[in-house]
Amino acid sequence: MVDISLTVNDRLYEISIDENMRLIDVLRDELGLIGTKEGCGEGECGACTVIMDGEIVNSCLVMGFQANGSNIVTIEGLKKDGKLHPVQRAYIEAGAVQCGFCIPGMVLATKALLDKNPNPSDEEIREGISGNLCRCTGYNKMLVATKKAMVYMKGE
Amino acid sequence: MKLNMVGKNIIRVDAEAKVTGEALYPQDIYLDNMVYGKTVRSTKPHAYIKVDIREAEKVDGVLKVFTYKDVPNKNEHGVVLKDHEVFASRKAIRVGEPIAFIVAETVRACEEAYRKIRIDYEELPAVFDPIEAMKEDAPKIHGDSNIIYHYKLRRGDIEEGKKKSKYIVENVYKSPMVEHAFLQPEAGLAYVEEDGTVVVVIATQYPHYDREEVAINLGLPEEKVKIINTNVGGAFGAREDITAQIHLALAAMVLKRPVKVIYSREESFLAHSKRHPMIMKYKTGADENGYLQYMEAEIIGDAGAHCSWAMNVLRKAGVHATGPYVIPHVKVDSYAVYTNNPFTGAMRGFGATQVPIAHEQQMDALAEKLGMNPIEFRMKNIFRKGSITATGQVLVDSVPLDRCIEAVDKSFKFSQLWKEGK
Ligand code: FES
Ligand code: FES
Repeated sequence: MVDISLTVNDRLYEISIDENMRLIDVLRDELGLIGTKEGCGEGECGACTVIMDGEIVNSCLVMGFQANGSNIVTIEGLKKDGKLHPVQRAYIEAGAVQCGFCIPGMVLATKALLDKNPNPSDEEIREGISGNLCRCTGYNKMLVATKKAMVYMKGE
Repeated sequence: MKLNMVGKNIIRVDAEAKVTGEALYPQDIYLDNMVYGKTVRSTKPHAYIKVDIREAEKVDGVLKVFTYKDVPNKNEHGVVLKDHEVFASRKAIRVGEPIAFIVAETVRACEEAYRKIRIDYEELPAVFDPIEAMKEDAPKIHGDSNIIYHYKLRRGDIEEGKKKSKYIVENVYKSPMVEHAFLQPEAGLAYVEEDGTVVVVIATQYPHYDREEVAINLGLPEEKVKIINTNVGGAFGAREDITAQIHLALAAMVLKRPVKVIYSREESFLAHSKRHPMIMKYKTGADENGYLQYMEAEIIGDAGAHCSWAMNVLRKAGVHATGPYVIPHVKVDSYAVYTNNPFTGAMRGFGATQVPIAHEQQMDALAEKLGMNPIEFRMKNIFRKGSITATGQVLVDSVPLDRCIEAVDKSFKFSQLWKEGK
């Protein structure tokens, strides 16, 4: 067992975990944050995407102990005071949500992109979500959603 | 007419739960006192098997290893033919076929037990090519013929069609096996309610079929089985056949504890169906004016080791074999054939998606022989209102195919470029 402390969605956790737990297991099994999904377990699909110290990571490829001292945002951390994040709102309105399994990762990848680059080109949007597989939508709706979110975020 | 939904932007009911991460899929559900399952699967495509679970059951934390001997009734399921065993009993017929289900207090104990399961395989000749599989002397997967189904479509008189055809093209097309790769790997839970009702929580396309299959295999009346469908993380046809449902229900019923299983991506590939690969032999003829006269097609679909929807899929391939074209003389034979390949079943389009690879290339090849713009050639032959299909259906309602082709042609500038010789 190893002791780690990490901040997830603005809350500090001090926990003792098994050395061979991955970050995704810590989030889901230890902290009950089941919004983070596992689609492949080997860094291909991006369903497990979380934001770690401002960067998107595949939480299936990060070991739990590597997250020691880090600041993590999961999908559960986006809605604040009952209000959806602009990216969440845009995804809903654009019809970018189908089965939903890719959506937490996709929304976080979109947020991370817009946090860094508030005016991405179509090319940059596609690049920004290129690590996230969606088997349902065909991706164009995500592009539409991201553009909507761009506008909403500027308005805030 | 006033429309309430059409033309309006309606927000889907589950969208908010899905963007906030609140939507639950089976892997997201944790129950008190829950134990874990792991499926042991065949690593050989065709073999007699002997399974020794004694060492695995001794592993600390293991509650039980289930095999075919533990299935109270039937040990069979399948959407059309009951040709899946819940657990392979005597013979494994494909790689990935379930042989046993380990249940333990922890995932780690499951894994340790998994390494201790001994399976003796006495390998049998296997067949992977459906054309080979159709031969009399081919290894047989089930019973004494591998041909599951033969669909025949006959219209007009092929000989006459040939006589009238100045141009004939003959080709063989092959389409591959395709994996659905829905994003949410199979997962599920089962538990028993106070009155003995067995509940299975799963993402499925057929809760009603699942219920029947679980009840039959467990020897329970259907009222004592409940299937709870969670959010479904993509399916595309691959959640029509049973995967973990019966294993989970059986384990929960016997052990009286909630049981959960989550497949890895790799196991998901092994567990569910694929798209039917098809071998499509086509002969198509047109007269000197560019009107189609006849088409003869033989379509062989690889069903793999289980039937699943093979007859429905190969019937659909046969019915759609002409494509959207008026052809007076037609002969189609489509076959579904067992092999030792991964089994194939429903996938978006259900047999109607493979044949266009053949009929459309036939159209292009014929247009080329005629020296005609392939768009113009199609326009001469397409279904329009009042056309009669090869199956004899009169198309009385709207058939806006001409408009569709025109729109595509315009946006691709196809005819324009064709005229310019590009
Ligand atoms: S689950 Fe981590 S990338 Fe697919
Ligand atoms: S919505 Fe189903 S995988 Fe993206």
